[in-house]
Amino acid sequence: MDVSAMIPELLSALPLTLAITFTALIAGFCLALIATTLRVRRVPVISHLVDLYVSYARSVPVVLQLFVAFYGLPLLVALFGSEDFFSPTIAAMVGLSFYHGGYLSEVMRPAYLAVDRGQHDAADSLGYTFRQKITRVVGPQAVHFALPGYGNSIIYLIHNVALVMYIGAADVMATAHLIMERDYNQYQFETYLVLAVIYSLMCLVAWLIVRFFELRSPMQAPEATTTTPIKNELIASV
Amino acid sequence: MFDTDILLPDTQEILGAVPVTLGMAFLIFGLSTIVGSIFALIEYRRVPVLRELIMAYKIVFKGVPMVIVIFLAYFGLPPAFQFLFSLLGINFNAHETPNWVILVVAITGCVAAFQSEIIKGALNAFDTGQSDAAHSLGYTGGQLFRRILFPQVALTAIPDLTTSMMVIMKALSLGFAIEVVDIFAQSQLTAALNYYYLEAFVIAVVIYMVIAYIVTQIADRLERALRVRT
Repeated sequence: MDVSAMIPELLSALPLTLAITFTALIAGFCLALIATTLRVRRVPVISHLVDLYVSYARSVPVVLQLFVAFYGLPLLVALFGSEDFFSPTIAAMVGLSFYHGGYLSEVMRPAYLAVDRGQHDAADSLGYTFRQKITRVVGPQAVHFALPGYGNSIIYLIHNVALVMYIGAADVMATAHLIMERDYNQYQFETYLVLAVIYSLMCLVAWLIVRFFELRSPMQAPEATTTTPIKNELIASV
Repeated sequence: MFDTDILLPDTQEILGAVPVTLGMAFLIFGLSTIVGSIFALIEYRRVPVLRELIMAYKIVFKGVPMVIVIFLAYFGLPPAFQFLFSLLGINFNAHETPNWVILVVAITGCVAAFQSEIIKGALNAFDTGQSDAAHSLGYTGGQLFRRILFPQVALTAIPDLTTSMMVIMKALSLGFAIEVVDIFAQSQLTAALNYYYLEAFVIAVVIYMVIAYIVTQIADRLERALRVRT
């Protein structure tokens, strides 16, 4: 079994994996922005619902979230009387977007709170609206705090994209399984090693991109800031 | 459509998997904390060669998804065990290693990398002036560890260790790929028998969220009870 024959075939499924990743990245980011806004503004009932959503995204295994999306979405769509148009790929995108949004919201909120209290007060006292405060004062500083956590969450998203195979999306993992079965399951260990390398490389690229932005960040941390450094979760989320 | 009549019998069936899941989670938690502490201590003491090895270990286990680690362990561990046993001259068929042992080893390997990071962080937060003071009072190394270092480091690490406990609980759900039955796998099995998929998964979601809530509550209480009031 030469690995060189296997790699092009595996890479042919890479666009789908990347498509799912990027959709989840963008949709998750929007979701996280909305969720974080609702949470920090403490809108009465809604903020509790959003809290529940965040704890759903963080405390339920991603596989289970994917299955819930896969079986739950058609039901939701049927309620509104339209056709079931959910392929596994779309269900995977939606499921992972919700996961990423919830996870990212818990990166953004501490970053927002980590911005020096005085800055919030100053913006408020100058009569800034919430939007102005976010875009002009707090947001740019919070980005700096959020970047390391954001890098981690992208890496965990890439890890979790490996799970979409279980609801039937034809990503790199699923292709690898096809290849293994075609070869009568002789080279499973080797195939998984190749997969491990592919995923590591994807993570490495993501990490390098985030690192680039971290180094370019204009607020190259004046070391003696009084703000407490926010804690980034060190541990992978599954 | 969503059927509410099936919820009760399904819940009973899925709850049956909770003790096994919790048991495995605690086992992995204990093992990975021990391994992680050893790693952290090696990095803290700056042991020459071992330190670089641990760095490499961490990089590898951070980049590779846990599913793939579990599959690699599933296909790679039995031959490795077999080789080890034959080297030691023990007659034991390692290909009969139960799957849950493989799962425990795989997740321990993954989580230990993160645990070591957590414990290293807690060790770094420890004020070295206190160990100097203890030495000047003539404490032995063991006494220093038991009376001063450990209580503080453990307290600092509690929030992060709670997170890692939850991550272990969630990671066990990947065990269904190698036929280990935990909460998630049980919900899938239950659903496969009566075709009420969504209902079973919703029950599993609720169970996971309740467990997460209880674990965080216990950790919060513990931390508040142990913190020295100044």
